[in-house]
Amino acid sequence: MKTFVLKRIGYSLVSLCLLSLTIFLFVRLTGDPTVLLVEPGASREDMAMIREQLGLDRPLWEQYGTFVASAVRGDFGKSFYYRTPVLELYLSRLPSSLLLAAAAMTFSLIIGIPSGIIAAVSVGRFGDNAGKIFSLLGLSMPQFWVGLLLILFFSVYLGWLPSSGSGTVWHVIMPSFALGWYFAAAHMRLTRSSMLEVLGSEYVKLARLKGLPERRVIVKHALKNALIPVLTLAGINLILMVNAAVVVETVFAWPGIGRLLYEGITFRDFPIVQATVMIGGSMIVVVNLVVDVLYAVIDPRIRYVR
Amino acid sequence: MAVTRADRLTVAWRSASINLQGMPVFPVAILVGLGLVAIFAGVLAPHSSEVGNLGERFKPPAWQQGGTSNFLLGTDHLGRDVLSRLMFGARVSIMVGLLAVVVAGTIGTALGILSGYMGRWVDQVIMRVTDTWLALPALTFAIFLAAVVGPSLWNIVIILSAVYWTRYARVIRGEVLSLKEREFVRLAIVAGCSKWTIMRRHILPNVLNSAIVLASLQLGVVIITEAALSFLGVGVPPPQAAWGLMLADGKKGLMAGYWWLTVLPGLCIMMMVLSANLLGDWLRVKLDPQLRQL
Amino acid sequence: MHAFFLACLLVVTLGMSPAAAAPEGQVTWGVHISLAPTWFDPAEMPGLITPFMIMYALHEGMAKAMPDNTMAPMLAESWKMSPDGRVYDFTLRKGVKFHNGDPVTAEDVKFSFERYKGTASSTLKDRVAAVEIPGPSQIRFRLKTPWPDFLTFYMSASGAGWIVPKKYVEKVGDDGYKKAPIGAGPYKFVSFTPGVELVFEAFDQYWRKTPNVKRLVFKVIPDEATRLAALKRGEIDIVYSVRGELAEELQRTAGLTLKPVVIQAPQWVNFVDQWDPKSPWHDRRVRLAANLAVDRKSINQAVTLGHSRLTNSMIPSTFDFYWQPPPYPFDPAQAKKLLADAGYPNGFDAGDYFMDITYANVQEIVANYLQQIGIRSKLKPVERAAFWSGYADKKYRNLAYTASGAFGNAATRLESFIVKGGPYVYGSYPEIDSLFKDQSGELDRKKREAMLHKIQQLVYEKTMVLPIWELGFLNGHGPRVQESGLGLIPGHAYSAPYEDVKLKGK
Repeated sequence: MKTFVLKRIGYSLVSLCLLSLTIFLFVRLTGDPTVLLVEPGASREDMAMIREQLGLDRPLWEQYGTFVASAVRGDFGKSFYYRTPVLELYLSRLPSSLLLAAAAMTFSLIIGIPSGIIAAVSVGRFGDNAGKIFSLLGLSMPQFWVGLLLILFFSVYLGWLPSSGSGTVWHVIMPSFALGWYFAAAHMRLTRSSMLEVLGSEYVKLARLKGLPERRVIVKHALKNALIPVLTLAGINLILMVNAAVVVETVFAWPGIGRLLYEGITFRDFPIVQATVMIGGSMIVVVNLVVDVLYAVIDPRIRYVR
Repeated sequence: MAVTRADRLTVAWRSASINLQGMPVFPVAILVGLGLVAIFAGVLAPHSSEVGNLGERFKPPAWQQGGTSNFLLGTDHLGRDVLSRLMFGARVSIMVGLLAVVVAGTIGTALGILSGYMGRWVDQVIMRVTDTWLALPALTFAIFLAAVVGPSLWNIVIILSAVYWTRYARVIRGEVLSLKEREFVRLAIVAGCSKWTIMRRHILPNVLNSAIVLASLQLGVVIITEAALSFLGVGVPPPQAAWGLMLADGKKGLMAGYWWLTVLPGLCIMMMVLSANLLGDWLRVKLDPQLRQL
Repeated sequence: MHAFFLACLLVVTLGMSPAAAAPEGQVTWGVHISLAPTWFDPAEMPGLITPFMIMYALHEGMAKAMPDNTMAPMLAESWKMSPDGRVYDFTLRKGVKFHNGDPVTAEDVKFSFERYKGTASSTLKDRVAAVEIPGPSQIRFRLKTPWPDFLTFYMSASGAGWIVPKKYVEKVGDDGYKKAPIGAGPYKFVSFTPGVELVFEAFDQYWRKTPNVKRLVFKVIPDEATRLAALKRGEIDIVYSVRGELAEELQRTAGLTLKPVVIQAPQWVNFVDQWDPKSPWHDRRVRLAANLAVDRKSINQAVTLGHSRLTNSMIPSTFDFYWQPPPYPFDPAQAKKLLADAGYPNGFDAGDYFMDITYANVQEIVANYLQQIGIRSKLKPVERAAFWSGYADKKYRNLAYTASGAFGNAATRLESFIVKGGPYVYGSYPEIDSLFKDQSGELDRKKREAMLHKIQQLVYEKTMVLPIWELGFLNGHGPRVQESGLGLIPGHAYSAPYEDVKLKGK
């Protein structure tokens, strides 16, 4: 067990190192941030000066060394565009992103889990199809389109909800719905398949044999176990919602991390991109690690399969 | 001993025809219909999809006031015929979607089999790279790739394949790990088959079902991502007609009342992706009931 | 699971304040670009036009562009140049105060110049020998050599002439200053949330006048359509940058007013292959044909509702030493004939046409027109950062869309885009290069002007570029606004001067 856990931690560290190298090289391969910090046609002295101020004139390996050495200590450097510490920026956006993600996840589970359960227990009936199709619709439309239609209908036409920004509960509704709906289908599918699996298991059959009412079997016995994998997936998706809700946050001018990341990309703000990707990536790696270890504790056979 | 190719085909066909039961009729009809439109777009489209006349901008659909029967579904901001663009757009979107899914599926399946069957350092390398890939948000990754390789239809295919091969690799590897322990693989090893032969002849056919199911489910994701890339400005380059691009271009007109510019391509995407997903779900139940975490 | 519900409950309780109507005396902007704290500090002025959005509220310059004067005296009451052109004497306005009550002194002016490290700082510092304070409200700049562009660089093309309080900056440090900036402008800093909003409050003791509006709020809304939706709902009062169909809708909506502003940012298509004898673009007739094939008026109408300026030049018409080229008529028949004369009766495949995706909508139309006379090109929209890197690395062929909003005058623009050695120059003509060399050493303004005009004339005669327009930047405001400040200062993209912004009935 101990070696297994240690090995898994080792793998995670390797992944993180690879991730840091990948993102470091990627941002540098794709364009020079200095050209974005001046108007096109600026003098070369100005550009050289900015490059020096940002430390981009140093050799790549040195830049990478600095990046890793300070990232380990939790320092991701200063943003090129904002010229403030990136971690500060990240943390200032984190509450908005957490709020949006939590609300979106709620929507997503409210849509996904019931429709998944219905799809599992009443295969082929109308309830199955209606719930399933509603979940799948969210996956079938680009988020920016859904967002824009929502704004047009609820803000411009009906005038009920604010079009963009944050601050009150009314602001959260549309972006979280647009974001949550997209993820609902994944939760629906997993609920359905893991319900089916649990419903076919020995102890549920036993519960039925004991003559328990079907509703009780489903809610009390099946659902509890079937939800474990769903919540695991929801955990991973929550991280994605927090760190990478780029499109929704752009459409609704939501001041979250996704938009910070997108700004970072468009401005080639290396420190911002590196920080958001590394922090988000670490979260995913850690969650995967925890899940793997927990599963291995619960069911030792998994160790060999995973 | 000699199981001929023809025999295998017959078996495959028989199982396929049995499996057709319960096939979702509507989605398949929609997909086939869109496929036909895509193939015959050159014949069906009444106008050019790329060149327009600025003098005829924003003509509404024929049934609305100000519309003409010349442009059944209206014209866009450059005076191009929306119907023709939708038809050619079907071609682009389906092609991008299918190609990306096939390329990603091939890469992912190949790596998954290699990783699962070879084990040891091969497995280590492939899985660590996969983990890294998964930790990068798909859109971020796609935007960077777009900046590196530049904009073109083929590059979008490359980008989408590069982003989405990881799921196949993970799922297929898991399956291979359990297949490896099965009797027929052990027998093949005892019989002295080479690793490559075993992977090709014994492992691959057994994981194909999962790969196909995954592919059908990913088709929608790929098409939606293509649209999101257009929204962020790094998708299929204009003046080509692609649904995602039309949607992103047309969204400005939505508020100005030019609803046909975004509602129509939006509906096309929705129908296509929904159909692909329903078909995928059905395939999953048929081909691979125990597949999870998709 | 419980956590989510708890979080939601929390949201509901915390956020129960209803969507409130804007308080009296507040004007809210919907800004298209994320605001950066570097813009609060004139010393870090990047070479972009956007920071002026903030500078005009927070800070005061020695002189700045105002509605009636491109270099109106502000903190400097007057200035004069010595006959040999090496000494500039400025007299400071008396009784002007910073937001913290400290008076603006010659020390502050000297300090602001010395700590300046933004755009053009090396140019300035290389040429200024010394800054002296001969009297309490006197400041003197000694130059190493006569430099006719000194005033332009000091007071309008850089942030060196925008004054910060020395004592305060020294007390809080550079980082502290960006968190709580203090200036001598009409508005005081209240709060800033990166990526969300920036709030200012009127500075009652502003020297020029007491501002009309109590609070200014700048909200960042990156998506164009969302910005317009916010304006329609009255969540914001003034909106920046809405284009095409959205601008039409703005114009059409009752109560909303479209406010176009022409900014100093011309756009043109560069024939980067004209020096390659094998390229069709080598033939001047082909380049001329392309120019005649494009209907600039229609493009202007379609994309900027006719509010861009068709100057037919790649240099802003407001720049010093600008020469006005004659317009190209829209004449596809003549264009086709020229193409046939050049040996392409059926047109030709022009290959890739590179551009920054931000303006792909315009280039798409240009390509459409070229196609109509048989010049078939393939659009290559490149994301902005990659586009300019690729451009400077000389990676592009055939056609490359170009735009520039950089400060300077005709000479600085030519240096970047036309003359040998410039960062975006793929080839050049010897007569232009030698003329340019001559003018850079010329002290007589008249003679220099003649040479620069001659160069621009050559650019036109050789048909080196396909100019499109000087961009019309489309902004708008809602019903509460009496004076938006938009378009008051010629060439300025944003609302200014802020102290003149006014709400109705106030």
